[in-house]
Amino acid sequence: MRKHGLGLLTVLLLMIFFLVAAHSQEEMISVDNSIFPNPERVASVFEHEAHNEAAEIDECNECHHVYEDGVKLEDESSEDMLCSDCHQIEVSDDQPSLMQAFHANCKGCHRSEKKGPVMCGECHRKERGGD
Amino acid sequence: MHELYGLLTGPLAWAAFFVFIGGSLYRLATMLILVHKKEKFIFTYMSWKYSFRSIFHWIIPFATTNWKKHPVLTIVTFAFHICLFLTPLFLLAHIVLWDEAWHISWWSLPDSLADMMTLVVVGACVFYLIRRISLPEVQYVTSASDYVILLIVAAPFVTGFIAYHQWLNYPLFLNLHILSGEIMLVAIPFTRLSHMIFSPFTRAYMGSEFGAVRHAKDW
Ligand code: HEC
Ligand code: HEC
Ligand code: HEC
Ligand code: HEC
Repeated sequence: MRKHGLGLLTVLLLMIFFLVAAHSQEEMISVDNSIFPNPERVASVFEHEAHNEAAEIDECNECHHVYEDGVKLEDESSEDMLCSDCHQIEVSDDQPSLMQAFHANCKGCHRSEKKGPVMCGECHRKERGGD
Repeated sequence: MHELYGLLTGPLAWAAFFVFIGGSLYRLATMLILVHKKEKFIFTYMSWKYSFRSIFHWIIPFATTNWKKHPVLTIVTFAFHICLFLTPLFLLAHIVLWDEAWHISWWSLPDSLADMMTLVVVGACVFYLIRRISLPEVQYVTSASDYVILLIVAAPFVTGFIAYHQWLNYPLFLNLHILSGEIMLVAIPFTRLSHMIFSPFTRAYMGSEFGAVRHAKDW
């Protein structure tokens, strides 16, 4: 009985291991740019998990934010939504356009932290990143 | 590389635009003051009509005898100047940066078109270089500074092309691109590149003298 339990546990652990491994192969490596009608650049590299770990960002709403009346809600986040669900391709009066939102978010932090890429081709890398 | 990029796109960019705009205004002002002091009578026959008539003829390809005499040079010169101005002004990457810094933006060229226009500029520079070296009558009036000016103009386009395609060392070439663009801006008021500022005035003066004084065409 004990033996069986151990075997079952091993199998279970192995299954979890492979699930995680398989899952991480599908991990985000670049920001999807297919929402842009005629993307001019290679999609930006962005290894979601690895990036946020290396950059030591704990709060999801550092990027996946929610605003109410122009104020960011500290205890809410929107990771179940795409940035493009709220940010339009074109600029609107009260909100940055989708490209501005990405650049302000990504580059803005890199600039203020003095870490991470700020030059176009360091994010829109021709040899890698998505398509 | 990032400190350098910050320096090039920050303080040095400010300095370059300051020298470019300030220097151009200074050169214009001193030119007008000099004319006023030495050859005041020029103002008596300066004419809008003859000025624009002359400028108009000279900015149309093949509208002047001189343009017609040198068809290849004419085509290269027009293609060169058009691409030289339009590419940097309407390059997407430049507009993205203007937008981020000043929240102003305007229409942009597709990157693939800008890429070809860059090659036109570089190709024209090569053409001018070969022309200077190979034609005796051109070589005769050529000094070392003419080669330096060609290099100053070609450099931002060559480095920009390499950086855009991310060949070789990307951060290095992007920084070289920005630096060479700033060198070009600074050089405009103080080298023969100042014909960018002065050519409308020289053309207007020639047009007026030929039109109002000699009653002849200057094209
Ligand atoms: C540095 C910014 C940033 C941080 C921090 C961040 N994300 Fe994201 N995340 C993104 C971007 C950008 C996308 C792509 C959104 C798009 O395509 O519109 C994304 C997409 C997602 C997606 C959906 C897409 C997918 O294929 O995975 C999920 C789920 C997600 N993030 C969860 C999280 C969670 C949970 C956290 C906090 C632990 C988090 N994110 C923190 C930037 C961030
Ligand atoms: C639920 C809707 C919503 C989603 C999803 C959303 N945003 Fe926003 N975002 C807003 C609103 C509303 C504002 C305007 C805030 C204001 O009034 O200043 C804003 C402002 C911004 C700003 C400018 C202010 C700042 O925080 O620096 C950036 C940058 C930005 N968003 C980036 C992103 C990115 C990147 C994503 C995806 C990871 C994203 N947004 C997802 C609604 C959203
Ligand atoms: C809140 C701050 C912050 C935000 C927001 C942020 N980053 Fe970063 N990013 C960093 C930091 C810090 C690093 C450097 C991490 C390190 O030390 O390796 C970094 C590094 C990177 C790198 C270099 C890693 C590599 O593989 O070379 C890339 C690419 C990158 N970020 C892309 C993005 C993109 C794309 C976005 C927007 C979707 C983004 N970042 C948003 C902080 C941020
Ligand atoms: C920190 C990373 C980062 C940097 C640096 C950066 N971008 Fe982006 N950019 C993004 C992300 C993320 C997007 C969203 C879509 C995508 O993945 O391309 C984007 C989108 C765009 C888009 C709209 C989509 C398209 O391809 O037409 C353009 C244009 C663009 N960037 C140009 C530039 C230019 C030009 C520069 C340099 C002046 C630059 N970017 C610098 C991350 C970056």
